[in-house]
Amino acid sequence: MPREAEPSLSERTFTLQAISEGLRLDSRKLDQFRPLELSFGDEYGVADVKLGKTRVLAKVSAEVTVPFSDRPFDGIFQITSELGPMVAPSFEVNRPTETEILLARLLEKTIRRSGALDTESLCLIAGQKCWSVRVDLHILSADGNLIDSSCLAVVAALRHFRRPDTSIEGETLTIYTAAEREPVPLSWLHSPFCTTFDFFGEDGEIVLVDTTWLEEQLRVGSVTFSLNKHGEICQISKLGGKPVEATLIIQCAQMALAKSKEFTDLVDARLAEDAKRRDKGGLMAELSAENER
Amino acid sequence: MPLDTSTYSLALLRIDGRRWNDLRRLHAQIHTQDAADGSSYLEMGHTKVMCVVTGPAEPQAGQKKGTVGSAQATGQKEGASIVVNVVVAGFSSVDRKRRGRNDRRIQEMEITIQKALAANLHTHLFPHSTITVSLHVLSQDGSLLAALINATTLAVIDAGIPMTDYITACTAGSTSSYAAGDDAADPLLDLNTQEEQELPYLTVGTLGDSDKVAVLVCESRVQVSRLEGMLVVGVDGCKQVRRLLDGIVKQKGRKMIKEGAVRRSDMMAVSLDD
Amino acid sequence: MSSEPVFVLPGDHIDPSLIPSHPKKPVRLGPGLRHVPPSDLLPTLAGQLVTDRQKNAIRVETSNGRYIPRVGELVIGTINKSASEVYFVSLSDYTAPALLPQLSFESATKKTRPILAPGALVYARVTLANKHMDAELECVSASTGKADGLGPLVGGMLFTVSVGMARLLMMPKKAQQGKVVVLDELADAGLQFETATGRNGRLWVDSDSTKTIIVVGRAIQETDQKSLGADEQRKLVKKLIKELS
Repeated sequence: MPREAEPSLSERTFTLQAISEGLRLDSRKLDQFRPLELSFGDEYGVADVKLGKTRVLAKVSAEVTVPFSDRPFDGIFQITSELGPMVAPSFEVNRPTETEILLARLLEKTIRRSGALDTESLCLIAGQKCWSVRVDLHILSADGNLIDSSCLAVVAALRHFRRPDTSIEGETLTIYTAAEREPVPLSWLHSPFCTTFDFFGEDGEIVLVDTTWLEEQLRVGSVTFSLNKHGEICQISKLGGKPVEATLIIQCAQMALAKSKEFTDLVDARLAEDAKRRDKGGLMAELSAENER
Repeated sequence: MPLDTSTYSLALLRIDGRRWNDLRRLHAQIHTQDAADGSSYLEMGHTKVMCVVTGPAEPQAGQKKGTVGSAQATGQKEGASIVVNVVVAGFSSVDRKRRGRNDRRIQEMEITIQKALAANLHTHLFPHSTITVSLHVLSQDGSLLAALINATTLAVIDAGIPMTDYITACTAGSTSSYAAGDDAADPLLDLNTQEEQELPYLTVGTLGDSDKVAVLVCESRVQVSRLEGMLVVGVDGCKQVRRLLDGIVKQKGRKMIKEGAVRRSDMMAVSLDD
Repeated sequence: MSSEPVFVLPGDHIDPSLIPSHPKKPVRLGPGLRHVPPSDLLPTLAGQLVTDRQKNAIRVETSNGRYIPRVGELVIGTINKSASEVYFVSLSDYTAPALLPQLSFESATKKTRPILAPGALVYARVTLANKHMDAELECVSASTGKADGLGPLVGGMLFTVSVGMARLLMMPKKAQQGKVVVLDELADAGLQFETATGRNGRLWVDSDSTKTIIVVGRAIQETDQKSLGADEQRKLVKKLIKELS
């Protein structure tokens, strides 16, 4: 296994020195994110998030399967993420690293456990047929703040996704192709977004957001908040690290709420843009032309 | 599910008869295993955990760097690496579900404890060595992560590994379920399983007597405005836990002196009786 | 001979007129080219074909990808660990380390040799580079015994740039040939700083002021990533200086 790359002594001391002076290497403010780009693919349910040099891609797919026997009224919803050697040679396939475990757990807690997707709506025939929705998260390049960008990509992809429409008549289940009926969006309840705060300094009193890989290597602790725009916390995780003052954590929560609203607006705006782009030609125009005859 | 919140508002008593700021009975023993460098047994209500600490010792053969769960503080600072293993016994909870070693939830707890220790222990005093912390969960009744952290602190003290201060943890909740937005919700301290399943809660771990938060884990939906109240109660609970743990350590110390395990000359000038 | 740059792709046919044909010296093949007996030359990398008629040499130059050590080049390495006789030095991430004998520093003896902690930076010259062996470095000129500016780099900050950018920065006349004026412009603007460039795509910058180091690093990295021309570089420097004051 190749060694994980480590910053040199000069990089360490200089970066920390600069942070203690309130400066960052890319001239950002301490509480400023890198420019965030969100774009959708041609297919439904593909979201591509670029945050500086970090890039993640989420792809949603759905198929009809048999529900779990202990949950006959629920559909299946899972999020899979893999950090492979494409990100960095130190990540091996099938041997999850700490980063990967924590990322998977965080997405699970933020999106799945908080009930962002109504899994009951995925049930078609109780105990027999249900939709299985699966999000595949691909990390294409990692330069810090994987958590925030991954969460945004997964939420955006799920909200962008359309599954084929279905109907039940008696015992027969019909699944319509996109040409027969317009695909329908998932039953989405709320959109949680993660914001990670990284602590620096002797007592962890300096707070940074959206750290790059180098800054992430040097932090003394971090806390991730997941909130939706209604101000509901879905998850908080400060997993060890240097102890920080409780008041600072409360301040971070308020900042996370503001950030979450910003993310919500961004995703809403991009989704509206994308819907507009699709509306022009496409299926609806085709169908309406037929109706005119 | 029976909601204990419905009855709570009548008498301001929880289902097990506690008031909002009562801890459950905390019982702990230190140095329970003779074979280990440090060990402890801790009960918080019906949550029962055991902890065994081995080391600082030479890294065992076959213990590869960077394996999962043994996540360690790499970096150019040479210091002891910390390995944490959590084993949840199949009989510990009601549903008798076997949890494998690859359960993400358990791995997350291992990483949390490992990172909390790494920032607190003076690992730089033991270069090229490993501290192994083994935790066994015998019975679960809420506040599991908190119990694991407390047991680890006791066992590490027993092993004589230098650390900055106690890391103590407990849970704090709120009486109103997440859907309701009423402001009359009371915070609760030290939740049991039944309360954990119904109410929003978080686990707080603090350092010593300060307000410094080392661990904060929340997995349920709760209004952000209620976070402050829960956190304050949690931090206060941690201080109570610290006093209890401190008492246990001092009691053990007194006993060791009485038995002659510690020679008078080795004793520090500090009186243990305070 | 036209001065227009020639680009080749792996497996391309190379026009025989481009291959230097010095009457006496043998043809020297640089990186990215393979000799297929009896007399064919095949490129193995995509990039610009560069020939040097005087040295009778030919090579393919790329500006991306990881650094491959070549004898005589100056590099900036990070000490990984120290063994009894040598330091293991990493030149790029995730590659096998290069070896730097502990005695190849200026006036180093068995008793007085510099002690470098893991993570320290060294400016060194490649002395041995074979395909299947770890590269070897030195921080002292073997013939004169002088350091000539090589040795440990203390303080400052290390920035990562592309291999191509590092090559441009190390050209003797980088303003004319490489069209890199950004450092000169920064110096003209009154900033005081010190740099060292390694062919492995590392740029070390030191200054008394933290802000100056950040500005220099950003200027170089932005020039590199957006491959800015000379005029754009001047504009960038002006913008950065404005932000600084």
